[in-house]
Amino acid sequence: MAKFDPFRGTRVPQQVPRLVAVFAVAIIGLLVARYFLVPDTFGQLGHYRAAALDTIVAHEKKYAGQQACQLCHFQIMQKRLAGNHKGVGCESCHGPAATHVSDPAQIKPSIPSEREFCLRCHEYSPSRPTGFPQIDPVRHNPMSFCSNCHDPHAPEPPVIPGQCSACHGQIARQKAVSHHAGLECTTCHEAPEEHKVTPRLVRPTKPTERSFCGGCHARDADSPPHIPRINLRLHNPRYVCWQCHYPHYPETP
Amino acid sequence: MQGYIYPNEFELHWSILVVVYPYVTGLVAGAFILASLERVFNVKEVQPTYRLALLTALAFLLVAPLPLLAHLGHPLRSYEIFLTPNRQSAMAMFGFVYAWYLMVVLLLEIWFDYRKDLVLWARQEKGLTRWIHYALTLGATDLSPRALSFDERMGRWITIIGIPSAFLLHGYVGFIFGSVKANPWWSSVLMPVVFLFSAIVSGIALVLIIYMVSAMLRWKPVDMKCVDKLAAFLFYAMVVDFSLEMLDFIHRLYESEESIEILSQMIESRLFISLIVLQVALGTLLPMITLGLTAPALSKRSAVKLPDELKRLIYLGSAILVQIGIFSIRWNVVIGGQLFSKSLRGLTVYKLELFGVEGLLAAAALLILPFVILWVLVKILPPWPEAEAKLPRAEDDSGAVTGAVPLR
Repeated sequence: MAKFDPFRGTRVPQQVPRLVAVFAVAIIGLLVARYFLVPDTFGQLGHYRAAALDTIVAHEKKYAGQQACQLCHFQIMQKRLAGNHKGVGCESCHGPAATHVSDPAQIKPSIPSEREFCLRCHEYSPSRPTGFPQIDPVRHNPMSFCSNCHDPHAPEPPVIPGQCSACHGQIARQKAVSHHAGLECTTCHEAPEEHKVTPRLVRPTKPTERSFCGGCHARDADSPPHIPRINLRLHNPRYVCWQCHYPHYPETP
Repeated sequence: MQGYIYPNEFELHWSILVVVYPYVTGLVAGAFILASLERVFNVKEVQPTYRLALLTALAFLLVAPLPLLAHLGHPLRSYEIFLTPNRQSAMAMFGFVYAWYLMVVLLLEIWFDYRKDLVLWARQEKGLTRWIHYALTLGATDLSPRALSFDERMGRWITIIGIPSAFLLHGYVGFIFGSVKANPWWSSVLMPVVFLFSAIVSGIALVLIIYMVSAMLRWKPVDMKCVDKLAAFLFYAMVVDFSLEMLDFIHRLYESEESIEILSQMIESRLFISLIVLQVALGTLLPMITLGLTAPALSKRSAVKLPDELKRLIYLGSAILVQIGIFSIRWNVVIGGQLFSKSLRGLTVYKLELFGVEGLLAAAALLILPFVILWVLVKILPPWPEAEAKLPRAEDDSGAVTGAVPLR
């Protein structure tokens, strides 16, 4: 009996139907897999499963949204919207408040008071935008809560420091208990006004001559008699005084 | 770390596995283009490497997506790029480029080329190999002259389609990097072209290595005409590749964008060994000069007359250096592009792990795996000239048997 061959007598080479069959199986397999595996709502709204939105909507709501806060805390809201934190939502600092809205008497939102919380945005980092208020937490009033001086609902914009201690607090506190407590910073440092605006670009000066300290500490200086004296000519003449003595906390002779 | 970098740049996101991926893909494209030299451009000298090059391309192509799957994680989800194709994403389209190249180009070409041998092997053999070879024929056992000439014609057409496909496969990899606008080290329209020519270089060098080593292991003589020609083509491809890279380099220098300072710092410090020493000096200039002098590339005779044994050694050494150089290119592109900060003010470092999915051992395993696959492929589909089955005389001459020849 003759073998069944649908292409017998035609000019289609034997390889063609075999390859067509292989590719047909691959393509049909892909289509079947698509039919069973691609979710029904895929691609309705974009390159994702549209029903995923319903899944997300079904999640428990944790945030109430600031409109809900406004209903009871209108004044605070007005204050905040007029200030520099107008772009920071209530729940950014106070945490998810949906439960508080549903039961305001029993459940209270958190009030972050620790410095680390504010430092998430305000710690100095060169990658933050220029002009964004930033502090060095080691130097900027350590151990003090931010809200002691700043109102988080209406924070003041950064001001040009009036005193050196605003930035150089550590030095100022050290100097305050030293023999140099009575001296102004500007007695020894010339600090141009621009230093207060762009502290890293315009630096204050330091004394570069021994004769500057000699103004008080030289044998022949015109200063009160209890101030320690040295022979400027013989006392380590190759060094400037502050290379050995720390002027913000000079040692007792 | 040096200078200023953004916090999210400290750790590199694309590891050595992403270096392995373009390297392996490049070898595939390069090996295929070498195979097409014989088929389309009729370079008879390289005929002994034709089948070997195709099998090499296939072995490496099968491994090509593995580094990506290992790097991305969730390999069980990978099929989804086929089910829900995203035409807006070049990366998502890779699945289709890959499938096209594997299914339509490489497998088909190998099948048409081997079909006659598969049928004859199936007839002569016994046991498991007989059934493996018969299954691979897909039942198409017709060995009539008409069927064989169809195989030949189809093979040729597929190679012609295959050349732009190979360009697409590897050009695509360069495209992925070249189109990252935010990265001045990658963003260059020359990137796909540079990738492509470096792929051709690496593919030719790889087949040269595999051909010579396999001849040595089989105790067979190396066809000197073939390796001379391969070395000459390797030299030509290297000249074009090096010129393109220099063009890219000069273009960057002349353009002198704001990134030039940090990039030159990076080249002088972080990439000095991998770029200046390995890629340019040892991986390109040294083998290029050596091949230029020893291979018959510039004239019919080589500039320096050397005994064949020494020439073979030099070719092998040059090809290995070329592999090191091309791997360095991939390293310098992938890792280099992540070493400098987008602030253009600092450099980070890449700490290569030893163990772990993204480690050195995993990368080494992925680079060894294609050779294991190639060994299996060579066992099933021997590419050697002596393994080629001869047609029985009756069918060979007269063409009297025109229908399907059943498995005896």
